[in-house]
Order: sequence, then structure tokens, then C-alpha cells
Amino acid sequence: MRIKSYEEMNLQELDVMKEISSIGTSHAATSLSKLLQKEIRITIPEVSVLGYEEAVDRIGEIEELVAATLVQMSNDVDGLILFIFKMDMANVVLEKLIGKSYTSFEEMDDMDYSALEEVGNIIICSYVNAFAQLVGVDIDLSVPSSTVNMLGGILTVPIAEYGYETDKLMYINAEFIADGVRLSDGLLMLPDIESLNRILEKLGVSS
Amino acid sequence: MTGKDLKVGIGDMKFARGEGQIITYALGSCIGITMYDPAIRLGGLLHIMLPSRTDPKDPKIFKYADSGLQEMIRKMSAFGMLKSRTIVKIAGGAKMFEIRGNSDFGNIGQRNAAMVKKLLMEERMRIAAEDTGGSYARTMLINIANGDVIIRTAGKPEKHL
Repeated sequence: MRIKSYEEMNLQELDVMKEISSIGTSHAATSLSKLLQKEIRITIPEVSVLGYEEAVDRIGEIEELVAATLVQMSNDVDGLILFIFKMDMANVVLEKLIGKSYTSFEEMDDMDYSALEEVGNIIICSYVNAFAQLVGVDIDLSVPSSTVNMLGGILTVPIAEYGYETDKLMYINAEFIADGVRLSDGLLMLPDIESLNRILEKLGVSS
Repeated sequence: MTGKDLKVGIGDMKFARGEGQIITYALGSCIGITMYDPAIRLGGLLHIMLPSRTDPKDPKIFKYADSGLQEMIRKMSAFGMLKSRTIVKIAGGAKMFEIRGNSDFGNIGQRNAAMVKKLLMEERMRIAAEDTGGSYARTMLINIANGDVIIRTAGKPEKHL
């Protein structure tokens, strides 16, 4: 049976997504470790299907400033993938790469933003490459786009993009751990419904 | 419905009379529309996400500009709002991300704004002030006692519309 929305995914399907995401995020952590020359570990991700307000609550405050990198997926899987940096995660990256740290995103300059965009892109690419290899699909990625803005406004982008299909987001929450400290970040992978069906079929779990 | 602060979520609408304020947070590509009838101090705030309701069975009336505006006007008129006296202000419709090589991406904000303006014109309701477009999220608030509308944006001073 084909599913018509994210929330129709059953436990088995969510479990498989979690399994695959866990491999994807560990690849992302490895790339990040190499880039920052620092040991980055990652927790086993939870995959949840959330409404807009739940997703905002899970990640932070609605008016909180965060940095986000967005990449569009195409080919076998169409959709969006979004990586959200909160302040602590941004500082770990910027301290290592540029040697600066901040108390708020508003103090940063274009150089800092572009470093974050690059790191967001690397995390997304290694995640998606591992994911695509495992599922056996080809996924092309667009050049990254990024913004520093209110969390609530950023999350309306995928919600509006798929607003005619679903009111839900698929949130993959794996926390990066650097120097024993858990960093807050968020990865949202949003295949459109047709692509999600294709993924589930490929994995042999479509019910 | 008086003396309270009301919060409007995405795809929702609330209105109040006399005093208090109504707020909606972090409008991205969505549009916030306030209506205020000063004669009876009746004010409302609608937060729409998409231009039109394509499935007539979809119960989420306030998610769409067309069904949302219609229902907002119907409800507020039932409480005495006169369209000719009503002050309308709109905010939002931003393009949060720019993807190189795909300029269509994220145009939903622009489409939302165009739809809201077209519908308000059809209703013969003039837009007194607007703060739309750009690439940043906005929080919108209306003070019911005097109809004052405030826009909050990260890194900028508050703005009265």
C-alpha cells in the first residue's frame, strides 16, 4: 500500500528510516571530525514525524535566531534537506575554523556565515551520500543556500513547500558530541511523498 | 475575549474586542493579515500559509488565503465589523532561501502576497500598510485597544505599521 503522508509511516518503516539515518549521520560526524580535526561523536538519531509547532518546540524557540543550510534533492528522490545550527554548534565550528566565537548570530560577518554554510553543506552531503548508497538510489544535490533567521520562519519553508501534500515534517535528531558536550542541531530530511514511497519500496518495507 | 493576549498559530485566526493583543510569531513565506474596525475596537489577525484551498473538503480553512480571508470577514462581520471602516494591514511573504539555478524555489511568499492583495481588492478592502517581501521572518502583533500593528524582526528595531 502506498502511503499518502509522512504520518502514515508505520513503526517498521520508521525503524528502517532510523537505521539508515543512523548510518548517514555517523558519516556526517566523520566528515565533520576530519574538517575540524577534532573528535566528533554522534548519538543514535531519533526519527520523528512532527507538525510545525511540535518541530519548532523540539528544536528551540520560535523567535530564536539560528543559522540554517538548505539543499534541494533531485533525481530518484525529490525533496529538501535542512541543517540547523544553534549557537553552541556554530561556535564549535567557528572556533576551529576561524578562531572566533560569539554570543549571538547577529555579531557574525559574511565570512562566518559562509563557513557555516560550507559546514552545513558537508554534513548534508555526507549524510545524503551514505543514505543514497544504502537505499540504492541516485540523489543529486543543489548548491547550498543559507540564512540566519528566526527558527519559526525557517521551518515554514518546508512546511509551505509541501503544504498541499502534508502538514508534517520528518525530523532526524542526532546530536553531535564534541569534547563531551552535546551540541544542539537539527537535520530535517524531507523527501516528497512520491519519493518517500520509492525509498520505502526500495528498502522492501512498504506495507 | 478581553484583556488577554492571544496567540495565533500557523494557519489560524483569532479576533478580540476592546483590549488585549493578538500576536503571531515568525512569519516566513506566510502572510499575517490584521483587520481593525476602530469604531467598535474589533481587531483580528489571520496567519495564512498558501494561496488557495484546492481541496474543498480540507477542513483547515485558515491555512489558505482564499478560504481564510472569506471566513475571517464573515466571522468579524457577524460581530459588527463594517468593511468600509476596517483598516487592513499585511506582513510576511518573505523568500527565506535563494537557490542558485532555481529561481522558482521559495516563490511561495510572493505568490501568497499577490493572492492576498488580489482577494482584498475583490472584497473592496484597502490595505493601509504593508511590510512584505525581503528575506527575513517577522513577528506581527496587533493592539486591540487602538489598532496599532507592530512588526518585530531580528536585528532591527520594532516597526509600527
